[in-house]
Amino acid sequence: MSRRLTLFVSLMAIVVLTGTVIGFAADPPIPIGVAVSQTGPVALAGQEQVLGAQIAEEYFNKHGGVNGRPIKLIFQDAGSDEPTAINAFQNLINVAKVVGIMGPSLSQQAFAADPFAVRAKVPVIGPSNTAKGIPQIGEFVSRVSSPVAIVAPNAVKAAMEQNKDLKRVAVLYAQNDAFNKSETETFQQAVKDLKLDLLTVQTFQTTDTDFTAQVTNVLNVKPDLVIISGLQVDGANLVKQLRDLGYKGLIVGGNGVNTAAIFPICKAKCDGILIAQAYSPAYKSKINDEFKAIYKDKQKKDPPQFSAQAFAGIQVFVEALTALDKKSPIAKMDLAALRVALNKQIISGTYDTPLGEISFTTGPGMGGEIVQKQAYVAQIKMDPDGTKGTFVFVK
Amino acid sequence: MATFLATYDFLLVSMVLAAVLALTLYLPLMAGQLSVASPGFYALGGYIAAILSTKVFHPGPGLYPIQLVLVEMVAAAVVSGILGLVVGLPALRLRGIFLALATIAFVQILGVVALNLQVTGGAIGIFGIPQPFSNQLSYMWVALPLLLLSMLFVARLERSRTGRALVALREDELAAAAMGVSPTYYKVLAFTTSAVLAGMVGAVSAHFINTWNSRQGTFDTSVNLMAFVLVGGSRTFVGPVVGGLVLTALPEALRGIADVGGLPGWLAQFLRDGRLIIFGVLIALGTVFFPQGLITPGLLRHLGRRRRVPHS
Amino acid sequence: MLNGLAIGSVYAIFALGYTLIFSVLRIINFTHGAIFTLGAYAAYALTGSPLGINGLLAGLTLPFRLPFVLALVGGSIVAAVCGVIVERLAFRPLRARGADPLLSLVSSLGVAVALVNITQYLFGAEPYSYPDPLASLPSAVNFGTAGQPVLVRTVQVVIFAVSMVMLALLTYLMNATRTGKALRAVAEDTTTSSLLGIDTDRLILLTFIISGFLGGVTGTLIGLSVGIAGPYFGIAFGLKGLAVIVLGGLGDIPGAVVGGLIIGLAEAFVPAQHIAYREAVPFALLFIVLLVRPQGLLGRAQVQKV
Repeated sequence: MSRRLTLFVSLMAIVVLTGTVIGFAADPPIPIGVAVSQTGPVALAGQEQVLGAQIAEEYFNKHGGVNGRPIKLIFQDAGSDEPTAINAFQNLINVAKVVGIMGPSLSQQAFAADPFAVRAKVPVIGPSNTAKGIPQIGEFVSRVSSPVAIVAPNAVKAAMEQNKDLKRVAVLYAQNDAFNKSETETFQQAVKDLKLDLLTVQTFQTTDTDFTAQVTNVLNVKPDLVIISGLQVDGANLVKQLRDLGYKGLIVGGNGVNTAAIFPICKAKCDGILIAQAYSPAYKSKINDEFKAIYKDKQKKDPPQFSAQAFAGIQVFVEALTALDKKSPIAKMDLAALRVALNKQIISGTYDTPLGEISFTTGPGMGGEIVQKQAYVAQIKMDPDGTKGTFVFVK
Repeated sequence: MATFLATYDFLLVSMVLAAVLALTLYLPLMAGQLSVASPGFYALGGYIAAILSTKVFHPGPGLYPIQLVLVEMVAAAVVSGILGLVVGLPALRLRGIFLALATIAFVQILGVVALNLQVTGGAIGIFGIPQPFSNQLSYMWVALPLLLLSMLFVARLERSRTGRALVALREDELAAAAMGVSPTYYKVLAFTTSAVLAGMVGAVSAHFINTWNSRQGTFDTSVNLMAFVLVGGSRTFVGPVVGGLVLTALPEALRGIADVGGLPGWLAQFLRDGRLIIFGVLIALGTVFFPQGLITPGLLRHLGRRRRVPHS
Repeated sequence: MLNGLAIGSVYAIFALGYTLIFSVLRIINFTHGAIFTLGAYAAYALTGSPLGINGLLAGLTLPFRLPFVLALVGGSIVAAVCGVIVERLAFRPLRARGADPLLSLVSSLGVAVALVNITQYLFGAEPYSYPDPLASLPSAVNFGTAGQPVLVRTVQVVIFAVSMVMLALLTYLMNATRTGKALRAVAEDTTTSSLLGIDTDRLILLTFIISGFLGGVTGTLIGLSVGIAGPYFGIAFGLKGLAVIVLGGLGDIPGAVVGGLIIGLAEAFVPAQHIAYREAVPFALLFIVLLVRPQGLLGRAQVQKV
């Protein structure tokens, strides 16, 4: 190439690059609020959600943000109680002036705080609110957390395929947690629909550590299948104690135990649990592979469901903003109009997320209820020494 | 100003309601009784309001009539009062730490019951509670009068015969009994009044936070109330009010400080995530360095004197 | 029934530290639950296990690994040290002032809240699990026959054994040694004891050291049995612990164990269909005991001196 051509190309490159840089610097980043539980007993879930959100922020900004404009996540701790969640929302809506909020972590907090967002006409995406009635709170409330009503029966069916004589079922659930209470209703209904014998329903608290009483009651009815709706720690302990005291049958775990975080607790005894999943690290798709790779690089293990859902939540915001911007430039909209338009865009879009392909259905007075194309049932396979495990796809 | 109100409207009303709840701890304390039963009655009041407004008074669309809220408050007051009597009569024979423990047990038991009944919605609780106001700040129309009336009530009580009887009981129960002051009567009176007040606050709060569940009105609430009274001042009714207002605002003020630009990253992060740490430390320091709380009768007299000086 | 004893021994061992402080100082030390947690975390770190991602000490792994028993002891020493710090900061100034014991209760609550959150700040909120020292043993012990197995988890047997040993040691300390007698004197009347030449401050310090150590041991053992659920896993014990020590008699050391076992048994006997109400059982018992016999089962009736 001639020297003049080289010079020309370099000059053009410089101009283009400068333009991009200025372009980036000219428009301030788009603020998106994240109000999850960073302190208090629910912080366990919240921490994973923060991580998922941060990975999403980095990832999407690296891939051009919203048509060239980066996003900025503003974190406000929603604590573990309802008033703190409300205050976090108020702060994000009025002070940080975000275009939308992802959060809160608990369904109960959502029932308290989401109405504030609805009144202020700010779109909310719930990353982990799974109780019945969440999108019905108002038009501005959507969620990417599947209400498990879809997935639960599949797990039971998978168990029936593994044990053809399966008839006797015992159910345990955490009664002080809204998610698990909803989930167990679905499981119990599935058991009845599949014409199995529901022999006993035992309850426990998510804060319990000793389940000897419940386990004894369960063992007394000699079940073929035990279904557990709990969170990570209690669920894992329950499994461990079931196995310690001699239960040899199948175990189906609900969404709360769908995380590698249970491995350190039940170790080798985690082996064989069938799990109804809203997210599976084994799901093959470009974005899930990329998300998984980034997560594994930071944490040295597979991403848990909470992180994946948080990632998906931010992804929905980014992609909806991008689509909206293409229709009518968001830089020219005032905040109130932008929030309303964004909400509409969110609900009407389809997204290829690590959770699979998702979209939303809606109805009068409600926001977006997630429609998740993929439903996963996996079975845990532990290494013989009990330290590492994987979720193996069953269907 | 508009942004301030829009951001902090919820907080401001919460502060006022917390101040009223602090008074419910103060009332038995006037008689020398540490009773942390208020959160139980608070929870009860909230459930009554939640159940009535969602299942009994089927609300139409639009704002929920304020009269019904007042009806719920009355209902909550009545039920709390009766329960207060039933629980108080046997329990108030206990003294000191024993009473405190009994009331802790009471709150825990209520919590478990609330978690298990169908009508209370179990873990999910009751949601979609209708709103009597179109914005949060309007709740002040209910909260502020409630606070002012309670303060007035307690102030008059302190000066009345009953109030003096309560103080007598606090100072020396045996002597007071020997002088003809019936300990049980006055203690139950204080306890029941406190229960009624807590129930009413609960009823309003259910509407205020849109939802109600067994996580409202727990031992954690007891801890907060103790902080309000013991840090704010345990010898005069102004103390718990100030304590309630200030300590409710504190975590959110810390959040606001953390948001101010220019703070070093780790400090801002600590202020944000460490709110609970700071809160706990403040409670501990407050009890160590200000055992009578911040607002003491001495302070009030001092302030009163200073204000009166210009007139002379 | 054996399950009841097993659960009960867990409560008992927790209550021992609690009641010890009450017996000497007449205050309820709410920080016991927080120290219990700290001890468990310290022991975890000492086993050389890696810390999680979210605390300030993210990813920290100590450069050495201690076998479980040594880590247990080490963690408990850390807990004891924390107990001492707490005593210095939160209780001593109040005691010097002769403040109402209720103030100490609130102060200890504040400290407990602060401690638990500091723990979370440092260690993160994830659950941890100890490298299992009992892995070579079968996971449950059969107390029945082959045909009618009555299984109890091995770790619970260990906890039961440890709590009995602790009880024996503590009782021996209190009743048979000079230090123990001095402690009981301080419990009776602090002023008189110091007039008699007993160094009350040092003894109170000792009380907190022992109590903290016990808390650490309890926390680590329970952590072994059910994993460290998170920084808040001590708080639930704190509340139930109150029920235990009142039932057994506030300040009475064997009473703490008896109370723990009774509550454990009561919980175990809740019929299956009402298991949801199991959480209310300790508190219902607490309430009833307070109304009927506030001094607890083994305590002496408190005579009100005029």
